[in-house]
Amino acid sequence: MTQPQTLTLNGRELAFAPGETVLEVAQRAGSFIPTLCHDPRLAPAGACRTCLVEIEGWRRMAPACATPATAGMAITSESGRIDRHRKSLMALYLADHPEGFVGSELGAPDQVYQLAERYAAPTDWPRMDNIRAGRPLDENPYILFDATKCIACARCTRYCDEVEAVTAITLAGRGSQTTIATVDNLSLLDTTCEMCGGCIDTCPTGAMAEKIPLLTAARPERELTKVRTTCNYCGVGCQMDLNIDPEGNGGRGKVVKITSPAPGTTTNDGNLCVKGRFAYDFIDHEDRLTTPLVRGADGQLQPASWSEALQRAAEGLLGVAERHGKDALGFISSSRCTVEENYLVQKMARAVFGTNHVHQCAAT
Amino acid sequence: MAGLVTTFGAGAMTNSIGEIRDADFLFVIGSNTTEAHPIIAMEMKRAVKRGATLVVADPRSIWLTSMAERHLKLRPGTDIWLLNAMANVIVTEELYDEDFVAHNTEGFEAVAETVRAYTPEAAEQVTGVPAEEIRATARQYATTRKAGIYYTLGITEHSHGTDNVYALANLVLMTGHLGHASCGMNPLRGQNNVQGANDAGATPVFLPGYQRVDDPAVLAKYQASWGVELDPTPGLNLNEMMKVAGTQLKGFFVMGEDILLSEPNVAHLEEGLNGIEFLVLQDIFLNETARFADVILPAACFAEKDGVFTNSERRVQRVRKGVEPPGEARADWEILQDLARLCGADWDYGDPAEIYAEMVKDAPKFAGISHARIEREGGIQWPCASPDEPGTTFLHEGGILRGKGLFTPVDYRPSMELEDSEYPLLLSTGRTLYHYNSATQTRREQGAGFKQPEAYVELHPKDAGRRGIADGDLVELLTRRGNLRCRALISRQVRRGCIWMPFHFAEARANLLTNDVGDAVTGTAEYKVCAAEVKRLSEQPAPVAFRGSYYAVEGPGPGKVDELPMAPVSAADPGD
Repeated sequence: MTQPQTLTLNGRELAFAPGETVLEVAQRAGSFIPTLCHDPRLAPAGACRTCLVEIEGWRRMAPACATPATAGMAITSESGRIDRHRKSLMALYLADHPEGFVGSELGAPDQVYQLAERYAAPTDWPRMDNIRAGRPLDENPYILFDATKCIACARCTRYCDEVEAVTAITLAGRGSQTTIATVDNLSLLDTTCEMCGGCIDTCPTGAMAEKIPLLTAARPERELTKVRTTCNYCGVGCQMDLNIDPEGNGGRGKVVKITSPAPGTTTNDGNLCVKGRFAYDFIDHEDRLTTPLVRGADGQLQPASWSEALQRAAEGLLGVAERHGKDALGFISSSRCTVEENYLVQKMARAVFGTNHVHQCAAT
Repeated sequence: MAGLVTTFGAGAMTNSIGEIRDADFLFVIGSNTTEAHPIIAMEMKRAVKRGATLVVADPRSIWLTSMAERHLKLRPGTDIWLLNAMANVIVTEELYDEDFVAHNTEGFEAVAETVRAYTPEAAEQVTGVPAEEIRATARQYATTRKAGIYYTLGITEHSHGTDNVYALANLVLMTGHLGHASCGMNPLRGQNNVQGANDAGATPVFLPGYQRVDDPAVLAKYQASWGVELDPTPGLNLNEMMKVAGTQLKGFFVMGEDILLSEPNVAHLEEGLNGIEFLVLQDIFLNETARFADVILPAACFAEKDGVFTNSERRVQRVRKGVEPPGEARADWEILQDLARLCGADWDYGDPAEIYAEMVKDAPKFAGISHARIEREGGIQWPCASPDEPGTTFLHEGGILRGKGLFTPVDYRPSMELEDSEYPLLLSTGRTLYHYNSATQTRREQGAGFKQPEAYVELHPKDAGRRGIADGDLVELLTRRGNLRCRALISRQVRRGCIWMPFHFAEARANLLTNDVGDAVTGTAEYKVCAAEVKRLSEQPAPVAFRGSYYAVEGPGPGKVDELPMAPVSAADPGD
């Protein structure tokens, strides 16, 4: 076995595994290096130049995300030179970004503004004549592309290509016109796009954003509460954060957006699919049952109180057992409900009514 | 699941989702993973991009086949032929793991004997898959250490579903692809908590933790815990219950399922339900079954209650309440408790954590898991016998759970209903990306409405041409059990002679058509094969758009069929 290899970061000696990048070593050690185009799920692109660091013996600064760690490397991630670089880089990004921190209240925080503030970037540099094309006519219901906030870091297109592998969006154009396009500028609905929303999740600026929450004027991001839960669709068990407007729905709370936990933290590695990320309208749908119903003498279902409905349910089930025996009852539980609820249904069938006729729709 | 318990001693994915990206060989059979389990498919895509070999066995071309090294496009219902022929190759070419077979399994000889007759050449005749492709797949599978099998309902929803599972398990056992990372036998669960519902004992045979009701020691333990006499006779499974609805069964309690949309041969079931005396339904929406309900109890949805779901890889994870339920709706567990108390029980659970604690007390597989621990550590994978154990990433490390893995010889039995002159097509049903099950949730969602606004059936261009059917036409779909109307989507994804339909749409209930003949062991119905015919309707309504459909002949894009040249049909067309 070879000795574990080490390098130094700002004078600190750190071990690293073969294949790790300078950024990965730094992040593992809890040392902050700013990034914009980096996503651990994607191959390094080294495109945004935000993560440049100094390496002893190297004339030029190097992108930490795309530089493999080597033994004995001496890295500096905070210095006057790096600070000047970050300032002017962020000033350049600001010159190509909406003025006055537009839209930073709604939607995910724009990391360009955050980093510009952090490094006190000048805001008065001559503005670029931004003619990056958007797709304003794309009537897909979920994914909004705000071309003015795009920094062409290609996280979204790389995600679409490398992770979701449908390659629905691509970089197009050159220079300041570089934009995120689809074939023939089609609506995402007409492309191979599967509406997973991974482009939104990976976008560092909010140029890719959830259309519905933005257009329905949800509350500012900071007023939303996040509740970590498990998706209720397929059996993968993706972890997700319900973004809740606590005052929505007359105070009972409203789910206004669903976001994924950070990559590398849960089974779904920061990913969600179209259902997990977007199919939550049903929660507040007007068709939800809101009151117990009991079938009346006229054969119609009538609203009833809980005590009346439960009494009727209990009498009905007990009555069948009395007239036809306990095994004349069948209990159908649900793989959509929780473990605890399934436990209670089978316990009710077995311990309360004495039958093993209990099953659910998915036992293969 | 029954098959897995018999073979290995546990009914669940043997390995974990996170291991898929490191696999070197993936055999995906009867699983349209990109649509039914998109996030697992991302892991598979990642493996393939890393250099892994992907082989897909499916009667239909699915998204994954576009990145697969090989697509074994078998005739529906002939899985046993394909799998036994793979076993035949592994046995005759002596590619099996002698050491693993000798030390960890029993019954190998019987399987070796059975598969002798299943030569790849004979299999080609039945399955339509070229013998050389079967050979190549078997060789690659057997000789790659990190080789995993991934399957779903395309394997189990057959009258011989349990046999299919045995045939797959035989391959796993003879190659020893068990007990280490990125291999194993991996059923991908279709619903959020299929695993958890089975874990919790919502089955006629098992109490919580896969403990049999007819095991006297188990029964005695639960009688002591619950303080009541329990019935030692296994109950009826769902398929059996549906068949005796109205005759033997006179009352139902139904929680969170629309049996009238989800169960096969629903016309027969409706007749049965007319003969019952009482039905309680507990759900978040009114559904088809509500027509037969005497009492309907409004429940909270997942965002409105606490508890746990257990995912495909046995990971127990928290469901957390974020918002209050609408109106007077309440969490299912609260309703169940009140109902049980009115029926004479003395339940007094304060919250779901207490219920979970009671469940694990008598179920050793989960004994180390609690809400408090998940709160601290995140999801935990069972088996986890004590609070000091970390949980189990992959099963059977250092020995198979039941002691020795049991080989089970299986022979091919044709599906119960095959095509004939009256019904010359084979119908399979399945899921799509944009909808979910009976679609009570996703049809209230606008994106799904854009992509798949109406029910449809996929039809091969040649089968369509012969019937004068054009893309988007309204057609009538008929089987011996019923008929329905839906749109025709002309697609080369289906084999010639085969049609495919999603089961999500209430106005075109695919399960009016499907066969309710059940698997002998699990009772799971044959949703995947039945004989059918398609006819164009003389009156055609306005066309609808299925936008960007990956499965349409012309592929994604806004083009119309008549603007694009149809693929030429040559004499050399293999007839797929």
